[in-house]
Amino acid sequence: MTIGEFEYLLLTAAARLGEKAYGAAIRQEIESATKRRCSIGALYTTLDRLETKGLLKTWMGDATPQRGGRAKRMIRVTAKGIQAATAFYDAVTRVSRGVTWEANRRMVGP
Amino acid sequence: MTPMWRLVDIVSRVLEPDEQDAVRGDFAESGETSGRALRGLLGLALRRQTALWRNWRPWLALLGAVAPFGILLSLVSRRMAQSSAITSWLYLNNWDWTYVRNTGFRLDFAHDVAIVLFEFLLLSCWSWTSGFVLGYLSRRAIWINGALFCLVLVTVELWGMPRFLGRSLLLSRADDFSPNSAVFSGAFYREVFPLIVHTVLVLLPSLWGMRQGLRLAALPLPLRTMLWASSALAMTTLAMQNSPWWQVRTWNNQPPPPPPAHLPYLAPLAVIGPLGYLLATTIGRRWPGRSAAFK
Repeated sequence: MTIGEFEYLLLTAAARLGEKAYGAAIRQEIESATKRRCSIGALYTTLDRLETKGLLKTWMGDATPQRGGRAKRMIRVTAKGIQAATAFYDAVTRVSRGVTWEANRRMVGP
Repeated sequence: MTPMWRLVDIVSRVLEPDEQDAVRGDFAESGETSGRALRGLLGLALRRQTALWRNWRPWLALLGAVAPFGILLSLVSRRMAQSSAITSWLYLNNWDWTYVRNTGFRLDFAHDVAIVLFEFLLLSCWSWTSGFVLGYLSRRAIWINGALFCLVLVTVELWGMPRFLGRSLLLSRADDFSPNSAVFSGAFYREVFPLIVHTVLVLLPSLWGMRQGLRLAALPLPLRTMLWASSALAMTTLAMQNSPWWQVRTWNNQPPPPPPAHLPYLAPLAVIGPLGYLLATTIGRRWPGRSAAFK
């Protein structure tokens, strides 16, 4: 199963957050990692697409007072999702080997 | 709640209830400004609506119901408003209590009132069924299809068909209604009364029907078949008993020709639409394990 860049970002953010993965948290994670705005439209439609592909599972969580008593859409990456994200990461790593920015990054460090 | 947040609240209703909750909660948690929330929400709503139109159902509703039913209902409404305006003028504007003592008058009065009420009942049944079919087929695409349907209803009622744009009914002269000029010389029966009939008996029942159609979830196959058969029958009577060309002539203020004699009078079957719905939902609620299908 091949995925795109934004789908990879979303899967990675969800995997990093683990049990605390839900809409707002994933959005914040993506925005702080990429330094770019993540629109709510892109987030929720991509979540649906990934769920249809079987790469993640979502369900409605509990409501909290800080959210004005509204429920969260909780997210968990499935085994198939981990596989797809790994494949994407491997492909990016392989294709980046030896290019200038990859070499520069190794010299400067993460 | 500020007007902007109220707008966010209204736009968010386009989304499914669970998604609505999640998105509004995300906005509250991340302290989003109302402007950014509205932009984000509009983007999401647009994506969701676009996705809905990949299905055949909204297209069927748009092509099969919005334009034909919208135009036909407006034309029928105009004709019924004109005929009931004549009856109304005849009795209300010329009322004399001494007439009541006359048996012949009482019989005529009861007969004429019954006809007007019956026509109004048929019109509201046709309108409700049109809205219901539209809501059921469109589902969440009803925001677009419903708005277009209302637009067709209002446009045909106010401005008419393109051919007659230059002389809409709102601007028509009294002598356009020459056979009944005494009735239509006043602005009320010529312009206001048709709008009242159209709003109360077409627009409101259609919106109600859309709501019912939208709220109806899965029904067992036999009930679904019954519901569709009754709706189809009701809409067939609308098309059959109200031949569009005849309606256009009436709407253009030409004396209507007599209804085609070779057609049986099927208009009363219009009530089958709402009745079929009542029956299907009542049985559906008692159907084993199906009560969850109703919201």
